[in-house]
Amino acid sequence: MADETSTQVTGELTITLNGTQVDARKGELLIAAAERHGVYIPHFCYHPRMRPVGMCRMCIVEVDTGRGPTLQPSCMLECAEGMVVDTESDVTSKAQDGILEFLLINHPLDCPVCDKGGECPLQDQTMAYGPGESRFVESKRHHEKPIPISDLVLLDRERCILCDRCTRFAKEVAGDPLIHFINRGNHTEVNTFPDEPFASYFSGNTVQICPVGALTATPYRFKARPWDLEQVESTCQTCSVGCRVAVQSSRNEVLRYVGVDSDPVNWGWLCDKGRFAFESVNGDERLGEPLVRTGGELRPARWSEAIASAAEVLQSTLTAHGPEAIGVIGGARLTNEAAYAWAKLAKGVLGTDNVDAQLGDGLPAEVVLGLPSATIDEVCAPGGTVIVLGPDTKEELPVLFLRLRHAVLNDGVRLIEIAPTATGLSAIATASLIHHPGETAEVARALVGQPGLGTDAGGVNSAALEVARAAIAAGGPVRVVLGRASVAESVSWTVEAASILSSIPDTSFLMALRRGNVRGAIDLGLSPGLLPGRVTLDGGRANLSGLWPTVPATPGMDTTAMLTAAAEGHLRTLVLVGADPLADFPDRDLARRALAGVETIIATDTYLTGSSSLAGVVLPAAGFAEVSGTTTNLEGRVSVLSQRVTPPGTARSDWAIASDLARALGVDLGFASVEDILTEISSAAPSHAGLADALASSSDTDGVVVPLSGPTPADALLSFTVPTSDALLPRHSYSLRLVVGRKLYDEGTAVHHSPAMTNLPVGGALRLNRYDFDRLGVAEGDLVRVIAPALTIEAPVVVDPAVPRGSAGAWFNQDGLCAADLIDITAPLTVLQVESLNGQGAGS
Amino acid sequence: MGYLRGFAVTFRQIFQRPVTTPYLIGKGPKAPKPERLHGRHVLNRYEDGMEKCIGCELCAGVCPARCIYVRGADNPPTDPVSPGERYGYVYEINYLRCIHCDLCVEACPTEAITETKLFEFSFTSRADAIYTKDELLVDEAGMPKHLPWEDWRPGEEEFTSGWVRATAPAGDASYEGRVGWSGELGFGVRAPEGDQESRDASGSAGRAS
Amino acid sequence: MSNDDGILNAGLEGVPHSVLTAPLEELVKWARVRSCMPATFGLACCAIEMMATGGPHYDLARLGMETFRASPRQADLMIVAGRVSQKMAPVLRQIYDQMVEPKWVISMGVCASSGGMFNNYAIVQGVDQVVPVDVYAPGCPPGPETLLHAILTLHDKIRTGELMRRPGEGAGLVIEQRDGQVDTPVTLGRRGDTPTSGLIGVERSAS
Repeated sequence: MADETSTQVTGELTITLNGTQVDARKGELLIAAAERHGVYIPHFCYHPRMRPVGMCRMCIVEVDTGRGPTLQPSCMLECAEGMVVDTESDVTSKAQDGILEFLLINHPLDCPVCDKGGECPLQDQTMAYGPGESRFVESKRHHEKPIPISDLVLLDRERCILCDRCTRFAKEVAGDPLIHFINRGNHTEVNTFPDEPFASYFSGNTVQICPVGALTATPYRFKARPWDLEQVESTCQTCSVGCRVAVQSSRNEVLRYVGVDSDPVNWGWLCDKGRFAFESVNGDERLGEPLVRTGGELRPARWSEAIASAAEVLQSTLTAHGPEAIGVIGGARLTNEAAYAWAKLAKGVLGTDNVDAQLGDGLPAEVVLGLPSATIDEVCAPGGTVIVLGPDTKEELPVLFLRLRHAVLNDGVRLIEIAPTATGLSAIATASLIHHPGETAEVARALVGQPGLGTDAGGVNSAALEVARAAIAAGGPVRVVLGRASVAESVSWTVEAASILSSIPDTSFLMALRRGNVRGAIDLGLSPGLLPGRVTLDGGRANLSGLWPTVPATPGMDTTAMLTAAAEGHLRTLVLVGADPLADFPDRDLARRALAGVETIIATDTYLTGSSSLAGVVLPAAGFAEVSGTTTNLEGRVSVLSQRVTPPGTARSDWAIASDLARALGVDLGFASVEDILTEISSAAPSHAGLADALASSSDTDGVVVPLSGPTPADALLSFTVPTSDALLPRHSYSLRLVVGRKLYDEGTAVHHSPAMTNLPVGGALRLNRYDFDRLGVAEGDLVRVIAPALTIEAPVVVDPAVPRGSAGAWFNQDGLCAADLIDITAPLTVLQVESLNGQGAGS
Repeated sequence: MGYLRGFAVTFRQIFQRPVTTPYLIGKGPKAPKPERLHGRHVLNRYEDGMEKCIGCELCAGVCPARCIYVRGADNPPTDPVSPGERYGYVYEINYLRCIHCDLCVEACPTEAITETKLFEFSFTSRADAIYTKDELLVDEAGMPKHLPWEDWRPGEEEFTSGWVRATAPAGDASYEGRVGWSGELGFGVRAPEGDQESRDASGSAGRAS
Repeated sequence: MSNDDGILNAGLEGVPHSVLTAPLEELVKWARVRSCMPATFGLACCAIEMMATGGPHYDLARLGMETFRASPRQADLMIVAGRVSQKMAPVLRQIYDQMVEPKWVISMGVCASSGGMFNNYAIVQGVDQVVPVDVYAPGCPPGPETLLHAILTLHDKIRTGELMRRPGEGAGLVIEQRDGQVDTPVTLGRRGDTPTSGLIGVERSAS
């Protein structure tokens, strides 16, 4: 196997490269070894993150392995001792010249209109190595100009040079072999299967790696030329994987994201949602001015008025009801610096500990911080076992899915999946333990239990459990990807399962949390009972004396508790920092009652959402690519975010809003710039000690994993205790247990405000196993009556083989059937009854 | 009596034809201009009325003064503006930056932008100086649009074509020194200039008037 | 606004516009058009073309402006010919200030008008940031005919414009105070006796 990323390079050998003796590694490809020593060999099909195929022949060089010099493709040739390579000989240049003339025979010279023109490898290499003119005078082949092969990608077959990069990516890396070569000889072309679009979550990567302009992206089509683009490297905040991206803009408008190859994180890949969400940065509906509710309506106001009015609300609540009557929800959209500023404002100035960056769909902070943590590289290290106990990584953390997929297929990692429905990883998992919703802990217990018991657990049969036990027993470390597989069930089972799994020796955890910078927000104190630096209120109080005016005395409420208190009228003022509980909280009914129950809502957001449109004061915030700072990904890696464009209107960065609010309350947070905050974080947060220096001195842009110097002192860390988990529910044959997961494309802000992606959400429907269909007497697409604890509605049903018998699947935040309407957060597990509309009761 | 000689010189000049250009005397005719003078630009059309500009932004990319702003867009399939997939959706030139270097004309792959010989124009407001696509584009007959602050004279619409070098990428010697003119809607194609040697021999640089 | 101040207080500006003053005004404008003496302000290559315009081939004297005055006190028109460096800007402004009213400015060439191809830190990006410009002549450099066209445009402007810039609404700019600063009225333009008698009086919105 010649894949560079997974081959074990052992042993050193010496080759002669253009007359110089250089070292090479055994198993290393000649093209890679040459590149390492600064000799560039032109190529089209070779990509360091994919298997070589030798399609384009551009990389042929003269190689002498003892039998005289011959032309050989350097991307297919592993280095061998004593090899003599000449990349600049006359024979080599003549061959390169000839290959380019061949490639250009059918390649149209429409460079002026081609989106790739200016950054095109074919163009560049023709200039550098190619013939000045073509001897080909006949007419070139003609195809229909761009044909859409998906909603996001256009294919121009005339320009294709058949390098196999896109098809290899789709098959090998993404596992969506939806495009392929068809026809033969001169008629060979890349295309999709008839009537089957290239509906991959990773299709944008093919546009990026295409060495010509054959694949172009609809959102970028004809928007700009490469030479108008100004670029800055940043970190994607669409999900918590934290892929490195290059943000490219022209005339103060973000026009494209390009994946940057960051070895520990994304390997150059991006998911389509992350790649094309740039359109939402430029959205027309972005908030550009503060809004203040006057006379029952939100009206534009000046910043001074809006800040004064927000501060007045906070001050009066503080005076009349004390800090406990204020709640702050959100913060996962912010940079680390803004999260720290908001933590300082909420906990240090207002004095409330009712602060939570997660919206009832994450894991308790004690679990996130208390379990031993693993990085993505550690999870994907060859020879280990990975237990995925969490969401469908393909839907929620797509690039982590790519890494896991590569680890399983190429590096011999054994993957055990514990989930209530089949996921994108099921097909490649060593053992896929699909269990009854709410019985996660049972499965975990059976997994670590004695082998050979021969009993089923939680709906998983004993044979599958046996395979999984054998995988763990095969040795190597055990890495757990931990998250919430379904928000329709209580978190306690997941926590219990995690604690059971942590008893396996050499186990560490990667937290599969949702939302861009949720890890950074938790690290910097936007979680009840926590202070910046992963310490408890008591553990961190001494550290912050002198920096913060005050520190809350007792731990406050999390989002669920806050919303419950608000619904009951105990919470007077709610601050939403880029949070939209109406759309994102699992129980929409509770969220609705809570927002109606508080006296005033203060919201900072980039768009006017369902929740912020109920607010008394809305402060427009600068979003991604409009602020600089740092962000933390799910493994705790802090990397740098960069500003590329200016925010719309008078929108300000979140830390500046926090600073202004504090000043209006009579306290100076002491920040004049992002750098000031980072310096303060480095000194105030124990886990982030030395961060500013480490980032400044880091030679690459991959970022640094905190804590930099071992774990924080044990007494300051949160103690992690297994909660008393909810009792197992009795199973009824007439009811269905609800499983709520997420799709990559939902009705969230990023997708909703990106025109190219608005058609992509699948829409809401109740998904059932075919077995349950027959039992209920309904057919695909029928409307059924869904009886949930809170309400009864009619919704369409569809067949989904991924959903096991006895469960009902619903996607979160989709049009049509919205899962948040069904979920009752007070119940440990939401159970539905489904009735056919033509009179037959379920299961009767 | 030496000063009389001075008077004589003055006296003689009374009967000489004045060298002063008649321009300005009742807005008299302009001085003749060289054939390759770089004046204000036009955006050309093909004979069928399609715009030549494809919005490729090469002119904007090559412009040393950064005075051109172009944005391309997808040609509407039912009513295409230019041949091919892409057309110039926005085309603006700021004449308070343009230095008339003609690099845009050389860069243009479709001979869409060329320069007229009009150089008599001035603005009282900065906004007037930014020519939009409407103002630059020739009409269906190939006539440039006349703006209130420009001094067009009859017959000046001609010679808006660009002077282009015939080039062979490999520098084929048989192409050396051969130059030609881009086509001009309504006026056809001008005869190419002779090569450098023949022009040097005849000693004339060629005048357009 | 200040027309009722009377001729004693406001000088000519206080003369009410009437049927009697109209022919006088025409006469004054005619005189101004015919003798618009330029100040020497050649800064770069455009100055060569400006000199050529003064020579016999183009003969500025036909327009009653045969001499470039070396003293700003004797000049009515400043032709800014060439790129204005940041260091030259205050000098240029001083010369302009020393010229007596009425005075006009032609920004000759793209460097003076917008910085031209010198889009950098050393060059003022448009001389209208320093002095009010009446006519812009494009070109790099503008030929003598372009400069003559600009001068003719200026003549038109003088002929059809008002005799004097009457104080009034100004440019209609409203400048909002940045938050956190003291609320004081902002006035742009010449310093006057009162904040509202300036050339361009900027009145704060009533907030």
